[in-house]
Amino acid sequence: MKTKEFQQNEVIQGIKEGNPEVIDDFVQRFSRPLFGVILNYTKNPSDAEEILQDSLVRVIRKIDTFREESALWPWIKRIAVNNSIMWLRKHRTARQREVQFEDSGPQFSEDGYLQDSVFRWALDPEDVMLNQELAGQLYDAIQSLPFEYRAPLVLKDIEGYPIRQIASLLELKEATAKTRIHRARLFLRENLAHYLEGKA
Amino acid sequence: MSGMLKCKECFDLLMDYLDHNLDTDTRGRLDAHFAACPPCVNFLESYQSCSEVAQQLRDQSAEIPQELEGRLKAFLREEVARG
Repeated sequence: MKTKEFQQNEVIQGIKEGNPEVIDDFVQRFSRPLFGVILNYTKNPSDAEEILQDSLVRVIRKIDTFREESALWPWIKRIAVNNSIMWLRKHRTARQREVQFEDSGPQFSEDGYLQDSVFRWALDPEDVMLNQELAGQLYDAIQSLPFEYRAPLVLKDIEGYPIRQIASLLELKEATAKTRIHRARLFLRENLAHYLEGKA
Repeated sequence: MSGMLKCKECFDLLMDYLDHNLDTDTRGRLDAHFAACPPCVNFLESYQSCSEVAQQLRDQSAEIPQELEGRLKAFLREEVARG
């Protein structure tokens, strides 16, 4: 633990001093996991590369504001998440803004009861990463969501942010953020249900 | 405590139910509905499952092009040198 803290301080000090070897080590250590984080927001590799470069620059420019008693990775990751959201919001094309997102929820009768039987399935999260095909299906389903739904879902279900923070980051009312996450989950559920029904 | 909730009312409260954001009375009413409605339980399980599975994508490293790492190192060295 002591060694780890010492390494972190060394990296921070080296960045502050502009030490080229430390900069190389910093890129080596963090670019791969950061690229993974960023790819949850966009699957376009060239966008992700640009966001990654911009995030690393921001980390270096902001290193003086880092509280050294904290852990470095969550701080760097937060910068990359904020940066991904800002970047994608700014670069959304007119076509992406117009994407219509259809409801994927179940059908209810007029008096509010479920109309159809519900296909029963649940996944063991521990098994999912063993099944690369299923993981890919989930990732593609998330990526096919419009940005307005993908961003709050990723923040909530992948990154584990609280609703208040998600609403603040995305400049939404909390109720709107919750509605979008709920609808995005319904879409994923429907998508995986079709996939698993096809496999059954 | 009011009467039994309908499926649609439970459906609208699923997220708060899973996040433990409901008051005791409302949560109890959802629990009572689920105890009597197997289709809703099936739906709840799969809805919760999606959310849990998505968590598995957290902190996954990704393969990055070899030349990208080199470009980033060069770019950041220059950035730092410029101050």
